[in-house]
Amino acid sequence: MARRQRDVVSVEWVKLELIRAAYATRGGLFSRMDPRMVLLWYVIMAAAPWLTHNITVLAGLFALGAVSVALARVGPLLLLLFIVGLGLETIYILAVALLFGGNAETAVALLELTLKLGAVSTASMAAFVSLDPEKLSDALLSLRAPALLAFAVSYGYRMLPILVEEFNTVFDNYRIRSAPPARHGFLGIRTLVHWVKMAVLSFYPIFLNTAQSVRTTVESLETRGFTYATVDQRGRDIRLGYLKVTALDICVVATTAVLVLLAYLAGDQWPLMRRDFMSG
Amino acid sequence: MTEIAYRRAGALRGTDDQGRRPLDLTPPQKLMIFVLSMSMFGLSNILLEIIPDLTIGPFDLSVSYFVFVPLTLAALLSPFWVALGAPLGEIIFTDLLMGDFSGLAEVEGFLQMFLAIFIAGSVIRNPRNRAQIAVGAVLVVFIDKLLSAAVDLTKVWVGVEDAEYVEGLPESMLVLEGVGFGIDIIISGVLFGVLPALWLVPALHGRIEPLLGMRPRVPGEPIPGQAAASGWFVGAALMLSLASFFFAFLEAWDVSIGAFEPEYLEQYGTWFLWISVAAIVVLLGASILLFRRAQARPVAPAEPDRAAAEEEHVG
Amino acid sequence: MGSSTSPIIDLQDVSFRYPGAAEDTLRNVNLQIEAGDFTTVVGGNGSAKTTLCKTFNGLVPHYWSGDFSGVARVCGIDTFTSSVAELSSRVGYVYQDFMNQLVRPTVRDEVSFGPVNFGLADHAERTAEALEMLRITELSDRFVWQLSGGQAHLTALASVLAMRPEIVVVDEPVAELDPARALEIYQRLELLNREFGLTVVSIEHHAEFIAQFASSVVLMSQGSQVWHLPVDEAVYRSAELEDHGIPAPQIVQAAQRLGLQDTPRTVDSAVTALGAAAPAVPTSSTTTPPDGEQNGSRPSPGPESSGPAAHREETPVAAVQSVSHGYKTVKNDLRMVLHDVDLEVRRGDRLALLGSNGSGKTTLLKLLAGISVPRSGEVVVDGVSTRSRSAGRLADHVAYIWQQPQQMFLKESIRGDVRLFPAGRGEKNVDSLVEDILHQVRLAEFADADGRTLSGGQQRRATLAIGLAMRPSVLLLDEPTASLDIASRDSVIAMLEQLSGSIACSVVATHDMTLVSEWANRVIVLDAGRIAADLSPRELFDQPELLRRAHLVPPQITQLGQQIGMSPAPLTVDEFVQRFRQEQPLGGDLVETERS
Repeated sequence: MARRQRDVVSVEWVKLELIRAAYATRGGLFSRMDPRMVLLWYVIMAAAPWLTHNITVLAGLFALGAVSVALARVGPLLLLLFIVGLGLETIYILAVALLFGGNAETAVALLELTLKLGAVSTASMAAFVSLDPEKLSDALLSLRAPALLAFAVSYGYRMLPILVEEFNTVFDNYRIRSAPPARHGFLGIRTLVHWVKMAVLSFYPIFLNTAQSVRTTVESLETRGFTYATVDQRGRDIRLGYLKVTALDICVVATTAVLVLLAYLAGDQWPLMRRDFMSG
Repeated sequence: MTEIAYRRAGALRGTDDQGRRPLDLTPPQKLMIFVLSMSMFGLSNILLEIIPDLTIGPFDLSVSYFVFVPLTLAALLSPFWVALGAPLGEIIFTDLLMGDFSGLAEVEGFLQMFLAIFIAGSVIRNPRNRAQIAVGAVLVVFIDKLLSAAVDLTKVWVGVEDAEYVEGLPESMLVLEGVGFGIDIIISGVLFGVLPALWLVPALHGRIEPLLGMRPRVPGEPIPGQAAASGWFVGAALMLSLASFFFAFLEAWDVSIGAFEPEYLEQYGTWFLWISVAAIVVLLGASILLFRRAQARPVAPAEPDRAAAEEEHVG
Repeated sequence: MGSSTSPIIDLQDVSFRYPGAAEDTLRNVNLQIEAGDFTTVVGGNGSAKTTLCKTFNGLVPHYWSGDFSGVARVCGIDTFTSSVAELSSRVGYVYQDFMNQLVRPTVRDEVSFGPVNFGLADHAERTAEALEMLRITELSDRFVWQLSGGQAHLTALASVLAMRPEIVVVDEPVAELDPARALEIYQRLELLNREFGLTVVSIEHHAEFIAQFASSVVLMSQGSQVWHLPVDEAVYRSAELEDHGIPAPQIVQAAQRLGLQDTPRTVDSAVTALGAAAPAVPTSSTTTPPDGEQNGSRPSPGPESSGPAAHREETPVAAVQSVSHGYKTVKNDLRMVLHDVDLEVRRGDRLALLGSNGSGKTTLLKLLAGISVPRSGEVVVDGVSTRSRSAGRLADHVAYIWQQPQQMFLKESIRGDVRLFPAGRGEKNVDSLVEDILHQVRLAEFADADGRTLSGGQQRRATLAIGLAMRPSVLLLDEPTASLDIASRDSVIAMLEQLSGSIACSVVATHDMTLVSEWANRVIVLDAGRIAADLSPRELFDQPELLRRAHLVPPQITQLGQQIGMSPAPLTVDEFVQRFRQEQPLGGDLVETERS
């Protein structure tokens, strides 16, 4: 089989996807909002589904979540992963439940759970895809989260592409210099074991190399007052000075609140509970 | 140039009477351990995201995480700071980034992993002892998965209205969780935990510490930020595991208000609801406080612990 | 020097031992640096230059909690009783691996990070000022990972300048940058030093930068200070510097060999000095130096025969056939790095691949190694298309040596790393092969050490050993002499020279003009993904326009030769001296003795 340059499912691709995901290059409604208000919006959306067993309400909230995902312009990859994950999970539980003598009612019970989880997941996707790490980190800081946590968020994203690349290089070295198994084995099991072994062995150099670069990073943080800023409040105030709640923020949060309330009212009007499906 | 016998001319500064410096972590060292464990565990999780999962029926035969990564760091550097950094790395690098962030469930996952790494890391008193490393690796998966299986079961119990009356559901959940637990112990705990850790911990011992400006740990010597067998720690651990349940409850509980679910309130009374909410708030506050304080200074190992370690070292 | 005010940096009997180390790294250092000085710290790899500089901003002993003895006063503050935070407003530090120093996503964030953390109300002005001082205001909104090496270095420098320090320490700027960009960094530092009175301390191996920019020089050896002298005196002690791995600048060597009294510090001053010694140097078109003279007796293709479309019967060892390659960007468009490149590498070629950062050198090497395959076109090595074999199988034909040695150290010992490939391929007598190679690169005594614990030069030699153990036809090296002191660099070049017997051809991507002039017999200049020139080293240095475009700076001796009108320009000091004398009435008889 001739080798070709691949643009998907390669390390380079993963790196780009990560940067894209992290820095919300797709734009969208929530990326224009104050990050603290996005978090508030998320709390409303994530809490609402847990307050009811009414399937009508849950369906309404799920729809609201789906619309938010569209407004946030979530990428196709994430969406696909989400749908597949949620779908498979439900199917498996259903299959096993039927094995133990469940019936249509079990299916409805699972529908309820799926809707709940789905509504919460769509909300978190919409919110966290739209928050770039800097904004999220500032929002956390402003909400009095520990400075270490806020730093970890912003630093993690900066480091990630570099780490992935470093791993790629070390793994390439292993790939080139260690002998592949002579035969693929049953279902390619030998090759699989070889690759897994290389991935695990790669951690020895990665550990040491990363320790070396982390040293420089932390020294640099230290000399530039990172620890000082966790004690002294002035730096925090300057950093968070730009956060401002605008009309858009209030508008979005209020609309969401109203829609959630409407969903509940609709549920009250046309309730649809699991026991409605109970046989007999 | 000829080599002149070298002798220090200046007076040595900042040591104790014995001239030995205690193995205390300075704030930047804590930060380095934290950042390193966060990056490494995050990276390993990204790798697992890329590798397609192998599932046979409902059973997930994939690797949950590379246990050996946080375990190695915890055994060599500091269980506390690694336990803090590693699960955070997982949340930030994979969950948040892949849009897989599940809100409060992340807090629950964080607490489980924190406890698992902290306790397992503290079990390793000698980084050259193979038995301790093996126990540590299995213990991480055991604690984490046991807690999460319990949480999962509770979630369905509570998340689905009258779950126990849904035919087949409780049994199927129990079987799924039980088998899943066993698979995780074997794959994540042994294949990707014990085996790599047995090789990596001794390989890195004495090599990675100098890079971080630390003295390698002498076998048996208590490392800073190690879980101490004190009442304080047992209390805190209990509190954290309870907290992880509460977070699970918070999202799964029938927090039904007003007209929507009147029969529920009659059954238990509103007071129960408010007490659990209050408990969660208190616990959340306490854990943030702990986190903050821990940033400021290392968790001092309890005195009897140190004596025990010295005995061990002699023996 | 010699001012009466108290020095801005004052170390007395400072010793330091890293935690867990067996012996002291710094040993009784007594050092005084005056305010407004431009000091360079020199010394071989492992002479504790970096550790010394970390005592200035308190990282030693506050961050590195080892054994610290003696007193270090910086700006009048005893660093031991002070803190890193307090000292950081006085001392700025730019690291050798400055990419790891950048902790924020955008340039502006990065520069304002310090002032904001310290809660300074004028953080915005400081940021703007620092960006302006280095003229990188237009980079403000870039993400740090989009920056080139030079831009990233300037950003790191700006981020410490924003704290308005009195002292700036710069650790080996030349290590990770191409020479033209390193020169630019030095020019900006000189400006800061002259116009703002900033005290600059740099760690440097390259004598030409020291001679041109420094006002005083500190020589370190094995953790102690040997001396601290004004630059004129320091440069004069060229023999002593050479003992410590810092050979004198080429122009100084030439001046001393020619018996000049003054030590010239720049090419211009050397031209003046030589002009005085020899008023009329004729342009010698008759004395054509024998080509490849410094390449020994190896059959050299010679520059004439290696021009484009050389007429040779022999099949090339490696061939690149109309290859184009590129990468996807974050915005999902394709950025092409190589455009329709054709190249044949023949037996005996010592090919130097030149070009500025980002011109496609590394990409081309990786395509040759089969680590990646081109989007269009073919790469054939030893008659095997890289598309037809996995990178692991291609490793039987071609070995690629990465730029960062530590990325190649996979095992716990050098021996293990060298063994990995031959042992895996079931070679016979693996042990003796490995031992032979370790002896060949003079690393037998370090065979059991982890590669990371070795010095820079040893690390490079270890990676060479790894490559050799693969017994390839083609050896590819990415910047093999970057961040080495001169002595280590020379040993690596000498090693490459020796290896030519066991390898059909080598390709080296480099910025190091000494490597080009002393080792290569063929040069490919890449410019924006296209081959701009295919010529001999000597022809290269006669084309200033080409050099400028590729961000290359010819060796000083070549510049000097050009400026006094030698054509073709000389490549080595030996050649310069020889030809200079030849053109003098009395010099003719020296030629033969010099050659031997």
